[in-house]
Amino acid sequence: MKKTLTLLVASTALTAAIGVPAWSAMQAPSDILRPIAALFDDASQAMPLVLASDDDDDDRWRDGSRRGHDDDDDDDDDDDDDDDDDCRGGARNSAPAGTVAPPQNGLFGNGAPPQVQVN
Amino acid sequence: MKSILATLALTTALTIPGLAMARPVTLTTTLNNYGGDGAYLALYVTDASGAYVGSLWMAGGKSKYYEHLSDWYRATGGDTAQVNGITGASVGAGRTLEITLDLADALFDAGYTLHIDAAVEDMRDSPNEVAVPLTTDGAGTPVTGRRYVASFAYDM
Repeated sequence: MKKTLTLLVASTALTAAIGVPAWSAMQAPSDILRPIAALFDDASQAMPLVLASDDDDDDRWRDGSRRGHDDDDDDDDDDDDDDDDDCRGGARNSAPAGTVAPPQNGLFGNGAPPQVQVN
Repeated sequence: MKSILATLALTTALTIPGLAMARPVTLTTTLNNYGGDGAYLALYVTDASGAYVGSLWMAGGKSKYYEHLSDWYRATGGDTAQVNGITGASVGAGRTLEITLDLADALFDAGYTLHIDAAVEDMRDSPNEVAVPLTTDGAGTPVTGRRYVASFAYDM
């Protein structure tokens, strides 16, 4: 009985010795406990949310087509729908020439593959 | 000897129509100095009734911009399979795009029209920038586009 009581007292003292400073540091860090408190402060700070953008030129395409319009060149009115972000962001790009055969649309023969040159 | 001649005649007879059904055609597109970034161009063909038949070339690799080639996009629904294997880079202002394709003879003098839609970042879209009937007589004759294309010609 005496032995059990001794063990209880020892474990309580140990818990108090370790736990109280730590708990105090979390609640109200003093200058003395600042190094310990800093650990908790740093951990408790929320990480800033950083948004990474993809192509920054995505929203710079204008939707200025005017089918049926006489289309004179002085019609530089402000289409303010510059931010047409509804472009097909998730669409798959087409296969470049030379990587696959041209489509079988009846326009192409079976001869030489397309050749392209930009001067 | 006789059987060899017969075989030769047969192979020749089978080969010549195949060669005659298609021919290399060079499409030359020169852009104006419009002062913007590289132009996306869609070259495609419609039949005599104006219905989309197929695409010949797509200059510009990012499919998310294809909707700005609005006539082509409306005809195809933006289906990138239409331009798989016939897609290249966009074309800079003042540059000349020269494409040589093996095209079916049936395209010429049969009421087909070649169209070019053009679009440039931060500038106005230009559907049907060029529309030129595909005829043997029209080969080599340059035509002018509406906004970005200084000249377009096809040569056979």
